Amino acid sequence: MIEVRDLSKRFGEVHAVDRVSFRAEDGAVTALLGHNGAGKTTTLRMLYGLIQADRGNAFVDGIDVANERRAAQARLGVLSEARGLYPRLTPREHLRYFARLHGLGRRRVEERCGHLLDALDMDEIADRRAEGFSHGERTKVVLACALAHDPQNVILDEPTDGLDVMSTRAVRRLIRQLRADGRCVVFSSHIMQEVAAVSDSIVILSAGRVVAAGTVDTLRESTGLENLEDIFVAITERQG
Amino acid sequence: MISVITSLAIVFRKELLDGLRDRRSIFSALVPLAFIPLMVFFSFKMVVEQVQPVRELTVPVVGAERAQALVQWLGQQSGVSVVPGPGEPRTAVRNGDIGFALVIDEEFSELFERSKTAKVTLVVNSQDTKADRSASRIRALVRSYGQVIASQRLIVRGVSPEVTRPLVVETIDMTTSRERAAMLLVSIPFALLMTVFIGGLQIAIDSTAGERERQTLEPLLARPVERIALVGGKWLASVTFSWASVVLTAGLLFVSLDFAPLEQLGVRTDLGVYSMVLLLAAVLPLAPLVSAVQMAVATLARSYKEAQSYVSLLMLLPALPMIMMANPSTTQEPWQVVLPVMAQFMVITDVLEGSQVSLESVAIPAFVSLAGGVAALAVTARVFRSERVALGR
Repeated sequence: MIEVRDLSKRFGEVHAVDRVSFRAEDGAVTALLGHNGAGKTTTLRMLYGLIQADRGNAFVDGIDVANERRAAQARLGVLSEARGLYPRLTPREHLRYFARLHGLGRRRVEERCGHLLDALDMDEIADRRAEGFSHGERTKVVLACALAHDPQNVILDEPTDGLDVMSTRAVRRLIRQLRADGRCVVFSSHIMQEVAAVSDSIVILSAGRVVAAGTVDTLRESTGLENLEDIFVAITERQG
Repeated sequence: MISVITSLAIVFRKELLDGLRDRRSIFSALVPLAFIPLMVFFSFKMVVEQVQPVRELTVPVVGAERAQALVQWLGQQSGVSVVPGPGEPRTAVRNGDIGFALVIDEEFSELFERSKTAKVTLVVNSQDTKADRSASRIRALVRSYGQVIASQRLIVRGVSPEVTRPLVVETIDMTTSRERAAMLLVSIPFALLMTVFIGGLQIAIDSTAGERERQTLEPLLARPVERIALVGGKWLASVTFSWASVVLTAGLLFVSLDFAPLEQLGVRTDLGVYSMVLLLAAVLPLAPLVSAVQMAVATLARSYKEAQSYVSLLMLLPALPMIMMANPSTTQEPWQVVLPVMAQFMVITDVLEGSQVSLESVAIPAFVSLAGGVAALAVTARVFRSERVALGR
């Protein structure tokens, strides 16, 4: 379970995130929806302990990220905005590295490696060096690395960004599987359809603030609009 | 969650594997290995040749028949033999066929017999150091022949030759060949210290500035790992490369010293295992400091390229003690004994000169370097998680 209370962050004069609160339950997919620069990435970065909040708190399974960063990070799987690979290491070596850093034992490391390489259909590239991988292949590897330690909570920053249809479908399938396994999934996107396809609840951010929250149905009710894109535009424009 | 030591070991192993697969890392560790023994060998050979007197000297003389007495006298000097010079001495020297030529003037014999000033011309290419040195010797010989003739002429006229020599300057060169060789030996500590700066350089940059440039830093920082373990593992990998490079280079240096013509300078070449151990004991503790400083600098740099140029500037440091030592008036100051790089430089020089090296003179700079290394590492660890670095600003 992930909870954010009154989270705020300023960069100079810009209020990147302004008193954002939301709650993401286990066994559910929560989407952060917003235009580029709405504060999605900054919110997530405070959640996984990359940067510190000016105000407010972020909790992972009840653990305050600011106070016990490592304990919170141990319960998180993160697909960050930066998603580089080590060009001289193979996908299997990437997975081993991160699984070990999470303290998995030797046998468990190999077990997870085998499972993830299989689940993300990477057996063919498993032992090839990452140099020259396609965008889709890279995303798969980074996604697998995020899940290397079988985390209870998963944060995905724009997981389908730049992916082709097949890869996008694979990612959606993965998200649904995580939900079915009772995991807490938080992901960000700037595309309403994307969000509607997989999420149980939606938090709409605009200029660093939460402007609306709820399920697709409740958002439809509150705006009186049917088309998903119209809803998104209506809400963000109303606030802007 | 795992302990600092365990996570440090995991990061270390990964960086080592990554480094071993990186052609640039391997290259930077092997560069000193390829070039430094060669550099030392050739600089020795060059100086040895310069220090030795010119033993055999063949003098091409043009117009020898015009100054038979002079030519005969020259031929009697030790090591000097006279050969007929080419018809076009200027062209021959310019083309490098011969280094120099002595040309007797057309009117030489006529002027000489009338006790007027007669002229000989020395054609030389002074860019050619060897020819220049030979020419200087010929100049001195011709001048002393002139002195002999002048004295004879004065005596004939009833004047004491001393009249023309109101004073005499005598130079005594106190440099022994041993000391001259010690000056040469400056190139060895420089080479070894340089190796410390080059050996782990690529990993120091690649694992810090490179990690950020590759966009792998953010995923790494999202892991439940202490920052000191992250930075420490990378540091150990860089130090390992540096050490490997130093040990290999030192080994090769000793082999190449065996071939260097040191005996001709009267320097002992049997440095032995004990000296080797002392040298390594002096040099190796410098690597943790150098790698840590390189990493701190690379982490603070805004980009990979910027990191490279800053870290390259650090490489000027080993040159400083060499420049200071090249000045003979430099005296040993107490602070030099503890200052990293400088202290190591002096210990290496002492070992090579065969001077007594005390345990403290090795241990104190080693301790200072290690302490400095840990301090620089702590700074890097602090910076590593700062928003500026994490967000790549």
